Amino acid sequence: MLAITDLSKSYGENSVLREVSFSMTTGERVALMGPSGSGKSTLLNCISGIDRPNSGSIELNGQSIGGMDERQLCELRRDSISTIFQFFHLLPTLTMRENIEFPMQLIRLAEKERKKRVDELIHEVQLDHRADAMPDELSGGERQRVAIARALATRPVLILADEPTGNLDTTTGESILDLLETVSGRYQTAMLLVTHSKRVTRICQRTVSMKDGRIVDDEK
Amino acid sequence: MMKSDQSGPHSLIWTKVIWRQWCREPKVPAVLILILALGVAVFLAVRLANRAAVTGFSLFTESISGDSDLLVRPRAGSFPESDLMSLREKMGATPATLFPILDTTAAAGPGAEAEIFRIIGTDFVALPNAVYLSDDETGSPIAAQTDGFSGMLGKPDQVFISRVFADESGKDTGDKLQIYVEGRQKELTISGIVESDPLRPQVPRRLLVFDLPGAQKLTGNEGLLSRLEVKIPPGPDFQNNLQLAREKLTEWAGDRFVVETPGQRKDSATRMSAAFRLNLTILSTLALIVGAYLILQAMEAAVIRRRSEIAILRCLGVTPGEIQKAWLMESLVLGLLGSALGVMLGVFLAQGMVGAIASTVNTLYYETTSRSAAFDPVEAGFAFLFGVVISLLAGSLPAREAANTPAAHAVATGIRGGGLKLLQHPLPGWVFLLLGLLVVKLPPFVTSQGSTIPVGGYAGALFFLLGISILAGHLFCLIARMLAAGNALPERVYASSQFRLPGGRHRLAAAGLLAAFGMSAAMGILVASFETTLNSWIRQMLKADVYVAAAGAQSAISENKIPGEVWKEILATPGIEAADRLRRYSIHFEGKDTWLAGSEYNNSERRLQLIWIKAPENTAADALTVREGDTYPAWVSESFSRVFQRSLNDRFPVPTPDGPKSVVVKGIYADYGSERGTVLLSRRFTSQWYEDDALNNLALYLQEGIDEETWLADFQNKFPGLVARTNRTLREDALRLFRQTFSVTYALEGIAIIIAVAGLGLAMVGLLLERREELSTLKEIGMTRRRIAAAAMWEGLGLSIAGVVGGLLLSLILGWILVYVVNRQSFGWTLNFTVPWLTIAALSCAMLATGSAVAWFTGYRIANLKSDLEEE
Repeated sequence: MLAITDLSKSYGENSVLREVSFSMTTGERVALMGPSGSGKSTLLNCISGIDRPNSGSIELNGQSIGGMDERQLCELRRDSISTIFQFFHLLPTLTMRENIEFPMQLIRLAEKERKKRVDELIHEVQLDHRADAMPDELSGGERQRVAIARALATRPVLILADEPTGNLDTTTGESILDLLETVSGRYQTAMLLVTHSKRVTRICQRTVSMKDGRIVDDEK
Repeated sequence: MMKSDQSGPHSLIWTKVIWRQWCREPKVPAVLILILALGVAVFLAVRLANRAAVTGFSLFTESISGDSDLLVRPRAGSFPESDLMSLREKMGATPATLFPILDTTAAAGPGAEAEIFRIIGTDFVALPNAVYLSDDETGSPIAAQTDGFSGMLGKPDQVFISRVFADESGKDTGDKLQIYVEGRQKELTISGIVESDPLRPQVPRRLLVFDLPGAQKLTGNEGLLSRLEVKIPPGPDFQNNLQLAREKLTEWAGDRFVVETPGQRKDSATRMSAAFRLNLTILSTLALIVGAYLILQAMEAAVIRRRSEIAILRCLGVTPGEIQKAWLMESLVLGLLGSALGVMLGVFLAQGMVGAIASTVNTLYYETTSRSAAFDPVEAGFAFLFGVVISLLAGSLPAREAANTPAAHAVATGIRGGGLKLLQHPLPGWVFLLLGLLVVKLPPFVTSQGSTIPVGGYAGALFFLLGISILAGHLFCLIARMLAAGNALPERVYASSQFRLPGGRHRLAAAGLLAAFGMSAAMGILVASFETTLNSWIRQMLKADVYVAAAGAQSAISENKIPGEVWKEILATPGIEAADRLRRYSIHFEGKDTWLAGSEYNNSERRLQLIWIKAPENTAADALTVREGDTYPAWVSESFSRVFQRSLNDRFPVPTPDGPKSVVVKGIYADYGSERGTVLLSRRFTSQWYEDDALNNLALYLQEGIDEETWLADFQNKFPGLVARTNRTLREDALRLFRQTFSVTYALEGIAIIIAVAGLGLAMVGLLLERREELSTLKEIGMTRRRIAAAAMWEGLGLSIAGVVGGLLLSLILGWILVYVVNRQSFGWTLNFTVPWLTIAALSCAMLATGSAVAWFTGYRIANLKSDLEEE
């Protein structure tokens, strides 16, 4: 599903990624670990098309991301790849329901189908009672659940999660991990989870470790 | 996947993100809409008021007899009634009705500022014909009152007044009315009221209508007319008959008379004020442009504030183009709402402004009857469109910045940006300065109407403004050093650090302040130069002790004069040592109206001294009396020299009632009293040509030891119909009139400064919002809210210093352009370049103080906002 080959990226003299190669299959959950500055976030940015590598290739379902123009990259993020952030990044002017619905509106999904999916996702993340709450009325854990529901809304093949539990307490973090595991299994969505926490690895089939821009370990 | 047919993502972003934000924080868009509305309103109001001042130009008879089809008027002097005989013979059976008109003035009371009555004398016997010649069914409002006619024929004391005046003064038929004609008080009896008719031009308020012989007798113009109005009967042959009448009239007129349509007459009169109106329009555009700058700042601040949301949208797959469209849609909606409100406000504001503009136009150019500005859909549409375009232009930069906002991951790394990239490189600045130097002295553009527009001056001013705005960023390193100098407090050190590597936003904020300060100070320089020049002109010109004129002389259209027997009686009054005499006549010369003046100066040491642009060889009092064969020596005013392109030793014929007379230019003098231009000759010749012994102005030199005030009191008892002012009061009146002329300018300048300072506040909002994380850190390391506000204050002060220093340089350059290029090319006046240092110093202090205060307040408010990290 995802194949990365000899990916390199540098900012001036500073090499951030050095010939990184790895792959993921459909529905696979992979933890990406490593110290600060090891290149995890840059790798995530390159996969989502926000940043462009200097060399190497990224293929998603056989389609090369490197050759895509800005519009195609936007469509890729709209249709195939979703991101979950450490700080949730919900749109503050929208209710919880609208936040989840928003990406589906972007891809112009019919209203009936949208409503059906929103109800299903709200139920999935167990927030039926808060559907019309604004983001600032939700707790951190609830906001991350909304972010997960939003990420799943367009049925992407890959979800990139950047420290998804990094801003949550242990109990909430655990419940979010359980949720990620559940939805990934149910929707057969692959997940690449960037983390510093060993706890995250418990829901992953593989753990890839990075250091100084290189993959130093890839264990199942 | 099921897809629905919906509007694009930009509409979705607009409705779900931007509109929602407006609903949550309605104050921000409301303020922006109000700012834009104010800009559009000022712009529209000035244009509507200008238009009213032009459309208010009236031939006065339109409201009585309806529009005439042709006008015949003498090139110089009056139209002898005896000429009508030969004209009627010439016209033969041509289907045209001739209406002889005497059009002159009288004062409503004593005093220089007395309101002027317009006296129209017309043939009451022929007037009923207007009913049958009119396209509409209303006919003449006077003709309808035929009962009043028979008793009025030929009587100088029987008058019709306007309905407006009758209602205002409470007068009615049979009541008495006092007026001042030829320096004497006259009592009239009101015979009827000229009713206003919605189908006709508005009847001017101060219109007095007499039967022609009565008006001639009353005003001492027996046997004389001002013009002839010609009406062609309506019908299928109208155009042919009009053409035939025009041909015959032109043939008859020769070089003594001008044959023109009422439209041509109006154009010729109103073109005189074109430059004045253009300057007001430019100033009002300035208010709108500064408003646009404010919108730019505010929208940019909004983009920064929403940067994290934009980043999320990018992560969700929204393209930069769609984001840009959504933000442009915001500026479009702002533009539509602001412009719509502005148009409504503008119509109201125009009513207030029309009085001020009409008063200036009345004083300087021609009489306008406008008291209110009518709604004009074309002007309103133009202002609306201008407001929308300005709003879109202002929003385009923030929209582009929104589109370029990096996705969420990059936001976390704290990338800063914003402001015009153009402002960050010095090269374009130098290029603009060079362009400014190249274009500034280009000759003016002359319109088909003959008005001159100093395009090179305006383009040069724009290039200098852009150039200095770009280069002003170089001041920041000096400001950084200045703020951190000595044992600086942490707030100053932090503020100073912001200027070490200034971004586009700092430069944009300083450029906005610089532009507003520079333009306002430059206008200050123009006004000061005008005032200094006028003062020195008045000092040199006004040497006499007492000045005498007919009542109402202060109006540009006043034709009131001091008859020969009256001024001779004055000169016989004890205590007068010498006198200067002046008589001026309006002439039609080379397609434009100008003045022909006859002067007689006394020979004393104290006599009037003109200020020379090009001095004659002989400046003695009797220099103009020495003829060179058939050529008469003349001194022409600077405006005449510019408008008609005449210089020293040029010879040309001027029209007079005695036929064309050849004059030679012996000197060119400064005259700040009129833009129409004057050809000054000896009164010895003009009084012969015009067979006229009257004067417009009389300057009296009293014998030594005579108390002016006492003498004046005696004089006014003896001649109550004349205006006499001492040297001091005349100076004061002239300067007051001057200040009144510039009152609209001051108001527009004030608006520009207020908007610029508000712009600084918004710029500070943008800068501080962008640094919310930094501010959060400052709080964590122990900085109080007040200290953060103090740091913002120092930063605002730094920006204001850059604005003031750059603005000062800009103002000197723009001031120079206004004085030596724009003013000279528009009005033809040479002014002494004067910098009002005290005013500029006060303006600088005000801008530094308000800039610092606004920045402190902004810092104080934002210091309490949570950072992006805290917010989530």
